[in-house]
Amino acid sequence: MSNRVFHAVAGTISVLWLLPIVAVLVTAVRSFDDIAANGLAAFPQSFTLAGFGDAWTNGGASAMWNSVLVTVPTVFLSLALSSAAAYALSRFEIPGRRTIILLMLAGNLLPPQILLVPVSKLAELLGIYDTLIALIVVQVGFGLGFYTFVLQGFMRAMPNEVQEAATIDGAGPVQIFWRIVLPMTRPALAALAALAFTWIFNDLLWAITVLRSSSVMPVTPALLALQGQYVSNWNVIAAGSVIAAVPTVAVFLRFQRHFISGLAVGAVK
Amino acid sequence: MDRRHFLRVTAAAGAGLLVSGTASCATSASSGPVAQTAGTATIQSNLSAPAAKAAIEALVKAFNDRRGAQVSVNTVASETFRTQLPSYLTSANPPDLFTWYPGSLLKGYEEKGLLLDVSDVWQTMGDYPQAFKTLSGKVFVPTTYYWWGFFYRKSNFARWGVTPPKTWQEFVALCQTLQGKGVVPLGMGAGADSPWTASSWFDYFNIRINGAPFHRELLAGKQRFDDPKVKAIFTPWREVLPYTDPNGTAIGFQEATTAMLQGRTGMLLTGAFFADAAPKDAIDDIDFFRFPIIDPKVPLAEEGPTDGFFASARSPHVKELKEFLTYAATAEGQEVYLKASSGTVLPTHPGAKDTGTPLVQKGRAHLKEAAEITQFFNRDSSDALQPTADAALVKFLQQPDQLDSILATWQKAAEQVWSA
Repeated sequence: MSNRVFHAVAGTISVLWLLPIVAVLVTAVRSFDDIAANGLAAFPQSFTLAGFGDAWTNGGASAMWNSVLVTVPTVFLSLALSSAAAYALSRFEIPGRRTIILLMLAGNLLPPQILLVPVSKLAELLGIYDTLIALIVVQVGFGLGFYTFVLQGFMRAMPNEVQEAATIDGAGPVQIFWRIVLPMTRPALAALAALAFTWIFNDLLWAITVLRSSSVMPVTPALLALQGQYVSNWNVIAAGSVIAAVPTVAVFLRFQRHFISGLAVGAVK
Repeated sequence: MDRRHFLRVTAAAGAGLLVSGTASCATSASSGPVAQTAGTATIQSNLSAPAAKAAIEALVKAFNDRRGAQVSVNTVASETFRTQLPSYLTSANPPDLFTWYPGSLLKGYEEKGLLLDVSDVWQTMGDYPQAFKTLSGKVFVPTTYYWWGFFYRKSNFARWGVTPPKTWQEFVALCQTLQGKGVVPLGMGAGADSPWTASSWFDYFNIRINGAPFHRELLAGKQRFDDPKVKAIFTPWREVLPYTDPNGTAIGFQEATTAMLQGRTGMLLTGAFFADAAPKDAIDDIDFFRFPIIDPKVPLAEEGPTDGFFASARSPHVKELKEFLTYAATAEGQEVYLKASSGTVLPTHPGAKDTGTPLVQKGRAHLKEAAEITQFFNRDSSDALQPTADAALVKFLQQPDQLDSILATWQKAAEQVWSA
């Protein structure tokens, strides 16, 4: 009986949860004339994949490539830097390391909106405004604090004996980092990589702050650019959203196993 | 753990990063899109709707094909454009040209010295009407404009056996007839992301009853929103509220368009851009009529929002951009633009041919008959004042009996904007 109630409630919630996604998918395969004549909420009376083609040729393809060009190096760089920082902060007696960690955490509590103008001026000053390099630098900079904080918590939980044994075997700090600590941190790294990928891929704010040419815009601002001043082709926008969601879904599915184990390992210590 | 060893390693790693960091900076600075090639002026465009985007791209292509100066166009979402415009203009290396409209916002930038004086482009525009010249000042080149009116489907009006009204009495009678047939007479579409559509009603009541000069003074802060003259315009508005779509503040402009096209509502007060939201097979069936005359003594005014280009004062491509502006102001350039657009905008050049459809020809005549042209609420005032109007008018549509307190709040909010 209680099982049946559970299924009914959980099923209803799942349906409600999936409804917007279904709505987007349905809109994506309708024609503009159908939407304009019958409304967004009406039962579809057309089926066409033209929206996907439109979204792809209307800047979608290059935007997707730009997103990849930003996201992959950013994820790689920020995890490399923050794991090195976390290693130092968690395994060595660095003076004032508590303060450093707290400072990194505090930086995360700062709302990014108040930094928009300084960041865009700084990018200009460095001569990297309107380039993907600027976006990568900004994303790495803003991600670093959080990733370091998570990773150092994870690394601190590693038994000291492992490190001592490696030291006795003659391994230096770099070797220990590379051959002992990093492999052991893999679940946390994988989880963070999946998270970071989603965040950076879906970012809009920094992209429109440091970029202004449509040729370098990543996917999210490109999607926004499909909206007209007065009139929007909802089928093209919906199709574009579906295309834009594919990489994040793929990455999540690929890293799902690590994601769950990564979080769980952190939880039990 | 040997601490000195550790420090040495980190120092080395840090130095390595620094070197690679500066190296990548140096390459990016020279290859970035901002470092424009000599002689190519860039247009930052907010025309992100597919039809408008195609039109400006066609104009740029026609200009570049003349083998003179070259320009490139860069389209961003209109919302992104609006919020980023100040940072575009104040950046050290701004885009050369911008799509925009004349108005107080532009005047503000002009006073700050951010805009280029394009008077010599105006030298080539001798046959333009004085109204455009006054509107644009020294910094703006108008290329297109459009009109507002009550749009309806001819087939629906024929089916309901009604004809477009001229006077206010006929208008109210038409609403009554339509309601008797089970149709919601007036669409609104002031919900979702388009609360500004309600401002068109406010603008029209004000220019019909108090006239365009008073309207402009009001929006410029020289009159008060709680003035009895402003309060008076809500009396005829209240008269037609029972005929207005009860979902008027719930659904957005695009949905309201659909409702009108389907015949669920009778007509919609909207701009000619509305044709972009209609399916192609419905466009020939669309017609419009003038917002009815309420007081025949008031000189006829119409909304005719104008669009065009302005340039940055810091542009290194002054010669190129002026050549482009000159071309965009010619009849030839505007005809190229119109041919590629959805075809409901009008050329500002008096000699340029419009797209020639009956709807557009009627629209052009419609504005020619007007003694005064207003732009639109936010264009005649500012984008900062628009939200105060949205809040007040949406509240009026929902709670018309609260008018006094709504107008008092509006005046207070507007004073804050004006004094900012």
